[in-house]
Amino acid sequence: MTSSASLTEPKSSARRILTGLALFALPAGLFSAALLLGRYPITPGEVGRTLLSPLFPALAAEIPDVARQLVLRVRLPRALAALLIGASFGGTGTAFQAIFKNPLVDSNILGVTSGAGFGAALALLLFRVGWEVQVFAFGFGLLAVALAFFGSRLYKSTPLLVLTLMGILIGSLFGSLTALLKYLADPLDTLPAITFWLLGSLTSVTWVDLGALAAISVFGLVFLFLVRWRMNVLSLGDAEAKALGVDPARMKLWIIVCATLMTSAAVSVSGVIGWVGLVIPHAGRLLVGPDHRRLLPASVGLGAAFLLLIDTLARTVLPGELPLGVLTGLVGVPILILLLRRGRTGW
Amino acid sequence: MKPTLYSLLIILTVSALLLAGCAPEPTLIPELTEEAAEEPQVTEPEAVTARFTIRADEALQGAVTALYTAFFLDELPAFVDADADLVVTAAADQPFMPSEIPATFLPGAVMLPQNENAEVSAFIRYALSPDGQVMLIEIGALPASVTLTDQAGHTTQIDQPVRRLISSYGPATAIVYTVGAGETLVSASYLGARDPLGAAAMERIDPRFSDLIGDDFFSQEDFNVERAASLDPDLILTSARTAWLDTAAELGIPTILYEAETPELLIEAVLLTGELFGPNSAARAQAWAAYYDWVQTTIQDATADLPDEERPRVLFTGTQPARVASGDMYQTSIIEIAGGISVSAELTGYWNDVNLEQIAVWDPDLIIVPPYGGATVEAITDSPEWQILGAVQEGQVYQMPKLVVPWDTPAPDSVLAIVWLSQLLFPDQVELDCAEQAAYFYSIFYDYALSVEELDIICLSD
Repeated sequence: MTSSASLTEPKSSARRILTGLALFALPAGLFSAALLLGRYPITPGEVGRTLLSPLFPALAAEIPDVARQLVLRVRLPRALAALLIGASFGGTGTAFQAIFKNPLVDSNILGVTSGAGFGAALALLLFRVGWEVQVFAFGFGLLAVALAFFGSRLYKSTPLLVLTLMGILIGSLFGSLTALLKYLADPLDTLPAITFWLLGSLTSVTWVDLGALAAISVFGLVFLFLVRWRMNVLSLGDAEAKALGVDPARMKLWIIVCATLMTSAAVSVSGVIGWVGLVIPHAGRLLVGPDHRRLLPASVGLGAAFLLLIDTLARTVLPGELPLGVLTGLVGVPILILLLRRGRTGW
Repeated sequence: MKPTLYSLLIILTVSALLLAGCAPEPTLIPELTEEAAEEPQVTEPEAVTARFTIRADEALQGAVTALYTAFFLDELPAFVDADADLVVTAAADQPFMPSEIPATFLPGAVMLPQNENAEVSAFIRYALSPDGQVMLIEIGALPASVTLTDQAGHTTQIDQPVRRLISSYGPATAIVYTVGAGETLVSASYLGARDPLGAAAMERIDPRFSDLIGDDFFSQEDFNVERAASLDPDLILTSARTAWLDTAAELGIPTILYEAETPELLIEAVLLTGELFGPNSAARAQAWAAYYDWVQTTIQDATADLPDEERPRVLFTGTQPARVASGDMYQTSIIEIAGGISVSAELTGYWNDVNLEQIAVWDPDLIIVPPYGGATVEAITDSPEWQILGAVQEGQVYQMPKLVVPWDTPAPDSVLAIVWLSQLLFPDQVELDCAEQAAYFYSIFYDYALSVEELDIICLSD
């Protein structure tokens, strides 16, 4: 899939720097837009002074309390969550496509989302609401991947294919278990809560949800950034990797552990958000090519920008929140088609 | 006319004895009762067969005789012109909120017991029962089948009486109890009975509850045909939004479909259900509709002069704090009938997910959470984010009450949601007492007397 010629494809450095800047400016701009836009009318000046008010309390003086609290307690944590989760999905999707040498996978391929969905549904059934939901989602996401990973060890050869298969099996197992929980749930009572969670939304993100998410996402992104060159090597194949001095099995394990932690943390906050991790790396490839040294940062930036964009649309267009799943397709597909039209780079 | 003469004789004797019994001579009483038993025997042995006396309109005597001879195995009723134990007459206009709904055994004809005679009450119960209906059908006083158009527009013919009923739709089950046909249930899906408190209350209302609950077999989604066939039902009640109608049709059992998301449709659903189970159920359904109407009118009269800007703005949230009721939902009707304004009425469909910012734009005066789905007042009041709302700062967050059926669902109990909310919104203008109305509602329409403890908590708002 990866054309090794494109790794050394010469490109004007001015263009590279411009693309790099754009990929940094895009999420930053959308992050500001997310803070400025909302159903409640707050002027940009008020938003700016509110954001500076923790440093300069005098600035907050004439801002209505509702506006100030909305910016600090509602818009800011939600925009940060969209930024972190989008970046995580972009990064982990790219990493998984590299180590599986398959452009049609994302970090869900090992069943992490199905596991997290089951964990959340179980917690909603047992405890109804509370911190248990996030903890269970996180824990069962990790459990699902662990099962897939150790399950694949039962088989002796071609571990990558078997790992993929095991991931799909474990994913469908947890899918069935979630369906069973939904069947057992009271249609008036816990079922709506489970369905809502499985749909995925950033509606209820608060500062409380952000601590663990921020820590795990930032560490994970830094790790992926540091090993991004090795992804190039891994995507060439195990023999080539060994020849280049990388232990492919160990490297893959570390990347899987890291990406699974990140995905679990993201999903435990947002619920199930598909599509981003699968498609964003392709958008990145169309923009900067298949070299992971540039593709990984590009995917991270694009992922963050994309989730910020659709989440801002989701909460501002109509009085009711649009489900993210509606917008990922409606907004994402035209953007991707546009990129494909002008795409000239290798895959 | 012979029986009348005999019964007159008995009445005279009995009243004489009663008068004598007033004398403060307790030792005499056994003697006197002995005499009472003997005297008719002396004159005419069959006279004992008149267990109680009946004053009946002439047109109704035939039906009463048919029921009486069937119930007391060929004995004949004793009709009198005055001082009867039981009066059978054309239904009069009922005083509003009667302490009980008179036993309507034929359309427009009621049985009114005049004392606590146990045989009289047993006879009335029989007259209203499916067995009694069979007798009345045999003599042509009641039709052998009714033809009804349900809320999905299907016309169905249903043989009378209905003895074995499956209700796979919680609101329909509540309506069945309201029209007094709970005894016909052989399996039912219940609303609000999955949690321990709801189940315990339902157990007190109907001791057969734990045997009847059939949520695992019948619901809006599922219909276990084998189980249904084994229960041998005469009729199935379910929601118009049911996925399994074709399966049920295979059994050839008539099905009535419900679609009651507005007050008008709820009233229609109750009246329709009343028609299924004979004249007494129809009368109870009408009494409920009159009660619902009275509650609406009382609130309207008290709040008619208020302009919209002075009406409280209410937000009804769902199983998640930021999930709100749309304008199409019954919860919005409850708010409007209670005299408030639903801030989320512009939304359409079912529950809508919104965000806190939108709720801040609406700025409601009062927030209501439902009594299901793990929704709690604390989920809102304990959240630092929600403190930005004036309603939260002022503690105006309340949980909708329930006994079994959540009051905000389109079931008969929802009339109490209107009463409860009107008290919260207009404590000074609307003179309705929630606990008093709840006691009345459950005693009349569920034949259930609320306990002192239940009365204390039933209308609490959090």
